[in-house]
Amino acid sequence: MEHTIDRNNKKKAWLRGIVSAILIVGSLWLLQRLLVPKYVDGIVEGAFVAEYYKEEKDFDVIFVGDCEVYENFSPIVLWEEYGINSYIRGSAEQYIWQSYYLLEDTLRYETPEVVIFNIQSLQFDKSQNEAYNRMSLEGMEWSMSKVNAIKASMKENEHFLDYVFPILRYHSRWSELSATDVEYLFKTKKVSHNGYYMRVDVKPAEQVPEGRILSDYSFGENAWKYLDKMTALCKEKGITLILIKAPSLYPYWYDEWEAQVEEYAAENDLRYINFLELQEETGIDYNTDTYDAGLHMNLSGAEKLSVYLGRILAEEEGLPDRRGEAELAAAWEEKIADYEAEKAYQYEYYGINKTVTELK
Amino acid sequence: MKKFITMLMLAGVLCLTACGSKEKVIEGEGQTAQSGEEGQAGGSGKGYTFSANGITIGMDVDAAPILEKLGDPASYFEAASCAFEGLDKMYTYSGFEVDTYPAAEDKDCVSAVILKDDSVSTPEGVAIGDSRDKVVEAYGDGFKEENGSLVYEKDGMKLSFILQDDAVASIEYRSTVLDNQ
Repeated sequence: MEHTIDRNNKKKAWLRGIVSAILIVGSLWLLQRLLVPKYVDGIVEGAFVAEYYKEEKDFDVIFVGDCEVYENFSPIVLWEEYGINSYIRGSAEQYIWQSYYLLEDTLRYETPEVVIFNIQSLQFDKSQNEAYNRMSLEGMEWSMSKVNAIKASMKENEHFLDYVFPILRYHSRWSELSATDVEYLFKTKKVSHNGYYMRVDVKPAEQVPEGRILSDYSFGENAWKYLDKMTALCKEKGITLILIKAPSLYPYWYDEWEAQVEEYAAENDLRYINFLELQEETGIDYNTDTYDAGLHMNLSGAEKLSVYLGRILAEEEGLPDRRGEAELAAAWEEKIADYEAEKAYQYEYYGINKTVTELK
Repeated sequence: MKKFITMLMLAGVLCLTACGSKEKVIEGEGQTAQSGEEGQAGGSGKGYTFSANGITIGMDVDAAPILEKLGDPASYFEAASCAFEGLDKMYTYSGFEVDTYPAAEDKDCVSAVILKDDSVSTPEGVAIGDSRDKVVEAYGDGFKEENGSLVYEKDGMKLSFILQDDAVASIEYRSTVLDNQ
């Protein structure tokens, strides 16, 4: 009898322990959800990487790179004009090792015909800023690609565990919490258009500074290593890799950098498009097509670049026009509606008058 | 249940305060850098300083009083970062440029001074076009040689002399606050 009571007590103690452990872990998880940045308003760039996973992954073109891809090219125009199904896996100041691992991550789900990489990030040989690391890496789903991306990105003062348990990084955000953190505790909001970040406002490029003198214009070994890896990965998978330099006037793009990229592209038989040299062909007007004085394109600039790039992809790379695929076309209809709605909202927000025809 | 609540509270407190004493340069989403010399409104700053028209310009000090004294720049450019709030600003004057970074909502601090031509020189007497020997004579041999530059580090800032053909091609005073983010 005593033996049975003892056993029951032990069972109860175990049960209490397990329930307590579950409640503690659950509460900490909840606390973590509350404290991590939601990136649904203001700085939305941190949400871009995660949005990809909700997509039907059947893209013909994947862009990888920094703000020079996600602010300068519109997948909506590529679809509307050429029937090209594309997605931008971009994030703020995405370093080349992050682009490589995001590409590797993408290839876990699909194999696109073309990968487009913007080479601006070759200038960095190591990560510059922890916050940018966070915005590029936190949204990735867990895989060896993410593990390796974190390892390749961490600065000296960063810890791998902080990426596994973001509460360790964001514990001090409790004083910054807002209603948004509660509203988006369990849900999120779509903030990009297939990875494209829209801005319709205009700020002409004026007094753009010349590049300062550098002590060494060579790209670093680490940067080259990841470009080599990207080239090899694309070759292995039968993907056409296209290198681009978006037409951003600042940060300055040096002739010495241009020469190195041109040489690399020629050696590896890659197409390289420097949009800085194609102002006339693309029709970019730095008085009207940028919203921040030449750093990034606004909607008008991004749409012009997309029309130009789309022609190359369709006519010279032979990408198919998929507008006849009913299911895909229906999905794009919804995306176009979102795009047009945001366009109209932003024109009103920035006080820009557009006629109904112009809006379309 | 009491035990659980106590443990939960303990875990919560630990999470919220564990690294409370560790100074974070950036926090959460609204990211700005903290200035190295909080509240310093003059031109002294840390490490080596540059001087123009009797105005001393140091790194990580409040830029407003310096810019006011320097007057209207010949040109001005501002650059938003890819995703953060605030602007990096570049003020170009005759012979040199002053760069700033957002340190607080209404406060920019000096991130760099870049000497552009030989119309100005450092307080120690080095100008663009001078020889490497003159730099070493003025600043000593406590430099690091990085890709053809002589870099002197002092109190959280760097003074770099970029050399081309053994002559100074550019002189830069830079804060290292932003390097640590």
